[in-house]
Amino acid sequence: MFPIANNVRAEREARGMTQSELGAAIGLTRQTIAAIEQRHYSPSLEAAFRIARLFETSVDALFQWEE
Amino acid sequence: MSFRYKSALLSLVSMALIYVWFFVALVIHYRTGHPFNPVAHLAGTIVALAVVQIVGHAIIAGTSSDKYDAPDERERAFDRRATMVGYYVLIVGALMGIGTLHLGFDGPMVGDAVLFAIVFAECTRQSVFLIAHHRAG
Repeated sequence: MFPIANNVRAEREARGMTQSELGAAIGLTRQTIAAIEQRHYSPSLEAAFRIARLFETSVDALFQWEE
Repeated sequence: MSFRYKSALLSLVSMALIYVWFFVALVIHYRTGHPFNPVAHLAGTIVALAVVQIVGHAIIAGTSSDKYDAPDERERAFDRRATMVGYYVLIVGALMGIGTLHLGFDGPMVGDAVLFAIVFAECTRQSVFLIAHHRAG
């Protein structure tokens, strides 16, 4: 598991989006969104900013470093 | 399973099976001197692989909704890792293939050894791609 925790799942579900819809909106596949939510993959900085912009929040609020 | 995962799996299995058949026939030829046309055998192998790949990819494309999706950053990362490992396997295999010259192998045998290195490197590349997919969930 990667040390970067995230609130992507909670934010996505709060907006009623599916993983496929979120992926299509920011240019990632459904499998990658699922991997990010399960902390099996840390997205690039660009992808993190795209997700944050889509959810109208900051990268800091969306991703947290956890030892 | 994504289209690219299924594609890599199909490529790995088809290459492994068809080239095992090719190299087993080659070894039997070298050991027993059984009459053999290497050019026709190689051509048959390439045609068989092409047919299996075309038909197989048509089938998996028909069952995959993501067949037109471009690879994203995660899949490109898997591909880079797989290509890097496959490249080193290819270089080591090719050098070993050339090294067979010093073991008294003749021209065609050296060529077969290099072909084996190419096939092994490609199988390694596909395997690393599949393993990376598995590990990353």
